[in-house]
Amino acid sequence: MTVVEIGDALRSKKLSVRELTEDTLRLVADSQERLNAFITITSDAARARAAVLDDELARGVDRGPLHGIPIAHKDNIFTQGVRTTAGSKIFADFVPDGDAEIVRQLNDAGAIMIGKTGLHEFAYGVTSNNPHFGAVRNPWDTERIPGGSSGGSAAALAAHLIPLATGTDTGGSIRIPASFCGVVGLKPTYNRVSRQGVMPLGLTLDHVGPLAGSVRDAALVFSLIATHGSGYVPPPHADLRGMRIGVPDTFFIENIAPEVMLSFRAAVQTAAALGAHVTEVRLPDAGSLNVIGRMVQLAEVSGLLASYLDRRADFGADVLALLEQGRLIAAADYVNAQRARTLLARDFAKIWMDLDCLMTPATPMTAPKIGQMSVAFGSHNEDVRSAATRLARPFNVLGWPALAMPCGFSSEDLPIGLQLIAPARQEDTLLQAGAALEDAFGVAGRQPMR
Amino acid sequence: MTDLKALAAAMDPPVPEELLPQVIPPLEALEAAFRPLVQNVPPDTLMWTGPEDEA
Repeated sequence: MTVVEIGDALRSKKLSVRELTEDTLRLVADSQERLNAFITITSDAARARAAVLDDELARGVDRGPLHGIPIAHKDNIFTQGVRTTAGSKIFADFVPDGDAEIVRQLNDAGAIMIGKTGLHEFAYGVTSNNPHFGAVRNPWDTERIPGGSSGGSAAALAAHLIPLATGTDTGGSIRIPASFCGVVGLKPTYNRVSRQGVMPLGLTLDHVGPLAGSVRDAALVFSLIATHGSGYVPPPHADLRGMRIGVPDTFFIENIAPEVMLSFRAAVQTAAALGAHVTEVRLPDAGSLNVIGRMVQLAEVSGLLASYLDRRADFGADVLALLEQGRLIAAADYVNAQRARTLLARDFAKIWMDLDCLMTPATPMTAPKIGQMSVAFGSHNEDVRSAATRLARPFNVLGWPALAMPCGFSSEDLPIGLQLIAPARQEDTLLQAGAALEDAFGVAGRQPMR
Repeated sequence: MTDLKALAAAMDPPVPEELLPQVIPPLEALEAAFRPLVQNVPPDTLMWTGPEDEA
């Protein structure tokens, strides 16, 4: 069910907030052994909050579309009185004394926190195969990763445990799990959603945003958390007439799994059939964005976590190797990476003179197996982290908004993700295009076999 | 190119020897791709602070 459908059931008294909360808590508890999507489940607090929100509705107090709606927050987002581990041993017992701004905003809107979702250690990786809290599993195939780092949020949505979740995205960490799990993930424009109270990772690359079961549900959340938001939620029959959509003719279509490419090409045809003016575009060198993005991220994360390196044994092996790499980057190289980033951003911004939106695959492949180290694209072998991030990271470097959404399924019944990108602060364009395509694809809301 | 192995040994604390295979080769590859990108940055170029600076 979508958030609007759940809201209708609550307001027509077909369902109480208490009943909805109990159902959700039961689903979450029953799924834990199979999926491990949650690090902490906040049952008592959720029940107490449900009673308050039921009472409000009975008194005619309606906080809006999120009133009584269950939500889960990624466990690197501070929650007052509820431990926030960042998926790390080091913060395993850390209990914030205040909520992150996004948690406060969604609480005020009436959402009910069900728990804190699992993630890659420190949100620094794409597998969510966490050495301290266990592997989060993909509901479409529990032998596969859900993607990361917001893997628990995406897995919980894909399994229809909850209708809404939050995530963070430093190099694709909202969009990669959205792609692998067949849900919607919005990485807003840099700094469009407050990062206050969110455990930082890459200081100039971090973004916070919603994951949801549909584009319209993601739009509802975005309308409540965006700085200078328009409140736009796509209407029932959003269309693409007149929208200028660019499809890159290099990089973003290279080394892509054949089934992903087929689905992507079909999505492009759908956009054209819906009235969009679709053109092939030659972008500046997106590979350079990934190089700059990796330099910046390695240095920023190692700076942030340097003071914990006297506890090496408390880090997972992959994160520790990245932290050590970052320590070896000279300050002058970091500064020049940020200066080169300015030049690249200036160069890339020119594409918006002729376009409203870009369309690319979200990830070049479907979800890899847990423990899989590399993925083959024909004769090209690539490590899983590099492959998963290479289509997503460029838009962290540019700070542009990007939306990942399902556009099809593979022959193994694994979700295939589409990515839409717009100029800074044009999330409404993404949401409009995403909703129109979602209606046409007809794959949103599909549920994995249990 | 930077002698990363020497640098790793000179850090305080040094990068543990057993981690070097996961640290040095990927960083050498990244540095090789990075150097050409910063060779000709004009002197008046500032650090990136957000997409609003693009206009």
